[in-house]
Amino acid sequence: MPNITLSGVAKSYGGGDYAVKNLDLTVPDGAFMCLLGPSGCGKTTTLRMIAGLEQPTSGTIAVDDRILDSVERGLYVPPEKRGMGLVFQNYALWPHLSVRENVEFGLRMRKVPAPERRAKAEAALRMVHVDAAMDRYPSQLSGGQQQRVALARMLAINPSVLLLDEPLSNLDARLRLEMRAELKRIHEESGATIVFVTHDQLEALTMATDIAVMNEGELQQLAAPMEMYARPANRFVAEFVGSPPMAIIDVVPPGGGRASTGLAASLTRFAESRVGPCAPAAVGVRPEALRLGTPPSGAGWREEAVVEAVLPAGSSWTVRLRVLDTELYAVSYTPVDAAPGDVLDCWTEQMHLFDADGIRIFSLDGAEVRA
Amino acid sequence: MAVATKAETPPSPPPPPPRLRRLVYRLRVLRHEPTAALGLILVVLLAYLVVAPLVAVLSDAFRVQYGDDVHAGQQAGEWTGYYLWRVLRSQISGLLFWEPLLNTLVIAVGTTLFALVIGGGMAWLVTRTNVPGRKWLAGALVVPYMLPSWTFSLAWLSLFKNERAGGQVGFLQAQGIRTPDWLAYGAMPIIITLGLHYYPFVLLLVGNALRRIDVQLEDSARILGAPRRTVVRRIVVPLMLPALSSAVLLVVGRVLGTFGTPYVLGLPADYRVLSTGLFQSIRDRSTGVASVLATVIVIIGVLIVFTDMRLMREHRRFVTVGGKGAMDRLGDLRRWRWPAFALGLLAFGVSVLVPILTLLLSTVTRTPMDLKTFTLDYWFAERLPGAVGFPHGVFRGAEMWEAAWNSLRVVGLASLICAVVGLLVGYVVVRGTAPKVAAFLRQVSFLPYLVPGIAFAAASLSLFAVARGPIPALYGTTFLLILVMAVTHLPYSSRSGIAAMTQLGVEPEEAAQIAGASWWQRMRRIIFPIQKGALVTGVVLPFISGLKELSIVIMLTTTGTQLLTTLSIGLVDYGYTQLANAVVLVIALVSFTMTYLTQRLTKSSLASGIGG
Ligand SMILES: Nc1ncnc2c1ncn2[C@@H]1O[C@H](COP(=O)(O)OP(=O)(O)OP(=O)(O)O)[C@@H](O)[C@H]1O
Ligand SMILES: [Mg+2]
Repeated sequence: MPNITLSGVAKSYGGGDYAVKNLDLTVPDGAFMCLLGPSGCGKTTTLRMIAGLEQPTSGTIAVDDRILDSVERGLYVPPEKRGMGLVFQNYALWPHLSVRENVEFGLRMRKVPAPERRAKAEAALRMVHVDAAMDRYPSQLSGGQQQRVALARMLAINPSVLLLDEPLSNLDARLRLEMRAELKRIHEESGATIVFVTHDQLEALTMATDIAVMNEGELQQLAAPMEMYARPANRFVAEFVGSPPMAIIDVVPPGGGRASTGLAASLTRFAESRVGPCAPAAVGVRPEALRLGTPPSGAGWREEAVVEAVLPAGSSWTVRLRVLDTELYAVSYTPVDAAPGDVLDCWTEQMHLFDADGIRIFSLDGAEVRA
Repeated sequence: MAVATKAETPPSPPPPPPRLRRLVYRLRVLRHEPTAALGLILVVLLAYLVVAPLVAVLSDAFRVQYGDDVHAGQQAGEWTGYYLWRVLRSQISGLLFWEPLLNTLVIAVGTTLFALVIGGGMAWLVTRTNVPGRKWLAGALVVPYMLPSWTFSLAWLSLFKNERAGGQVGFLQAQGIRTPDWLAYGAMPIIITLGLHYYPFVLLLVGNALRRIDVQLEDSARILGAPRRTVVRRIVVPLMLPALSSAVLLVVGRVLGTFGTPYVLGLPADYRVLSTGLFQSIRDRSTGVASVLATVIVIIGVLIVFTDMRLMREHRRFVTVGGKGAMDRLGDLRRWRWPAFALGLLAFGVSVLVPILTLLLSTVTRTPMDLKTFTLDYWFAERLPGAVGFPHGVFRGAEMWEAAWNSLRVVGLASLICAVVGLLVGYVVVRGTAPKVAAFLRQVSFLPYLVPGIAFAAASLSLFAVARGPIPALYGTTFLLILVMAVTHLPYSSRSGIAAMTQLGVEPEEAAQIAGASWWQRMRRIIFPIQKGALVTGVVLPFISGLKELSIVIMLTTTGTQLLTTLSIGLVDYGYTQLANAVVLVIALVSFTMTYLTQRLTKSSLASGIGG
């Protein structure tokens, strides 16, 4: 099974702007990698370059030892010879072909004899549960069915590299859950290397073996999901991964100098009491790490908080607090018995410290200090 | 899994590899990507077929032509202002240019007003009132546009012709009523007959605009206390302005390039317009003068279209999105309902029934319209005494059939080329691998739209009449006819090609590419099958319009390459009125039937074929 390497890949669509800047990325053999990032950060561009639909301005793309693109060495393999599978964001089914013909197309291009073609297409359609609609046309299918057909069309040729561009974004919540499970199963059964584009961080956290977070054409961090959550490389990743997003409080006030009162100062004092002087520029606290009530044994950081609003959301409660000079959100998974105006204790044992460049210095988690 | 954190310094894009390396890579990519080659081929093709003729005619206008060296006092081939002087400032320039220009203007203005009054009025009737049978009227009143434009002029002659020109006289004259020249020929009949042909144009454009106006806009003005007249003046008319100005400019543009009607109704009275003047100069082999005239027509045509586009852009901010109520409420005409219907019927009668019946009757009677002299000889006789050049009925002998076959062949092939090239232009533009190529194709394929057909034909003659380099002289070949016909219809087909491909997007093709399909397989199995419908309309619409085309082909046909349209005009020249009428009826029947069937089958509206 293949691993995909991109080295020094950059892409400009003309003009001075780069959609992807100097990307070094290795998708390990058999990985389920999510490319995660905000809209316009270059995820689709990256995926299309791997597929060969877009050519890099510089850099090399290879699968195992086979170089697919190398601007420097003048090597290029066209998409039709790369043998990858790609699912487009809006499916791109061929409207003039029936579902069966859509799925058989790739096999036909590979000159697979008709009976075998039929069998393989049917198997692929069964796998995604649309074999009942085999003789219909794409326009006669629901969005979810179309999406599955697009998947089956890709699976029929049994590619070892699967590329998916936000394939679940057009589905309703229930179908999306179902398809996530389906994709995981397909990944496990086929052992293919998958690159999956999404801007939904929950999707990335639940499905991926590895996540690559991109922003403005740059790779921000490449890590396993929980690793990414526990040790975000920088402020961008910290804010982007996790929901609701991490609160990051700047230590240096806008006027310069160092404030000695306020939430930031309080958090910094606590951190420095644990690890010695470290002069962070910002401190981040995840809402779900911020607890209400008396801390168990006086460990951790604590401060008094005024409740401003309680927002129940089914299984969790979001509480808007004012702590010293700052507004913070806390998420609780147990009912919160408080009314606006109440004064409570809030505390946490987890925080992330960032330097002036936004790079994470270290994280505190209970007694542990993670570099 | 190791944690790759962001580097200390943010990665800036690496310096692009050396130019040569990039070139090698680029070529490697292009080898697998025939789109680029296709784009290049199309660029060369269009540059040669569209741009080169215009350059050639411009250069002919300023170069001494063979045989003119004595008059110009310069060697043949030298640059000269002689023709410009001859056309604009010499003693004969009044005859050559100023008078035809004035006549053209008179006719353009007259026709436009005529078409505006009838077309605008009828548009209002069928879209905004409860006139009985509005659906039927809306369809029936478009029929004149499906007939060849000079059908009406032949009908006019059949009614009003006097003995001034040779051949059979018209109905009135045959009844002993003398028809004065001003009634039989010249400005007035030309304006009326052209107006009858072009009012559907206004009807469609204005009707569409009226339909789009939100009634609520009017309602709110009424509620604010504006009387009905003020509402019309302050709300409706300003909102209609874009459609009106567009209709006016398009009609003017068409009149500028139209040949048949002014030829049939103008020439007997020596009433010349620019298009017939151009034709005569070509026929007299005064290439230099013809080139100047063609250039002038091109310039006026370009100005008109640019003005239109300019106005459209300015008016765009007026566009209002029609609300739901837009269609439901129709003005109640009350006791004027039936008179209004009668008016609509009158328009239909005058613009369709009268001309067609007149032509039909004239072909089946020996004395005009006198049923006592009923005969089918003009259609079927083996021998027609007295007709030397065409001594038999139109359905006998080879001439009509040959012309019909030529028409079918030339127009059919041209339409096919047009549709395929249009789709390919759309393909290259949408694939967008080379933005400059795409922009060039988009603009150049639109260029013939700016140039009235007759001027474009003259331009093509400049380029192709003589052998140039490896390309032999093409004058008199059907090949040239096909080329010119295809090029002049290219703006419509490339526009619809671009629209069709834009709507499809690149992803279906990319999906096929990922699935392992080569370029040919993608074209054969994905692009063309999906665009089958667009391709069929892309063939049929130019075919219908090409079948009726006269202005473009009149200068390019020779005795060996007659088309139905030129055959009919040739018969007019001979004075064989009945035979000419019969041929026009055949064209009208074919083109009407095809238009009707196409609308039925493809549900496409004629409006989309008009004025692009
Ligand atoms: N064909 C193109 N021509 C010019 N610029 C482009 C083109 N395609 C993408 N871009 C630009 O490149 C950048 C990255 O685009 P890309 O489509 O890769 O974003 P994305 O991460 O997939 O975003 P989304 O989540 O919205 O799909 C954007 O700024 C976009 O405007
Ligand atoms: Mg995208």
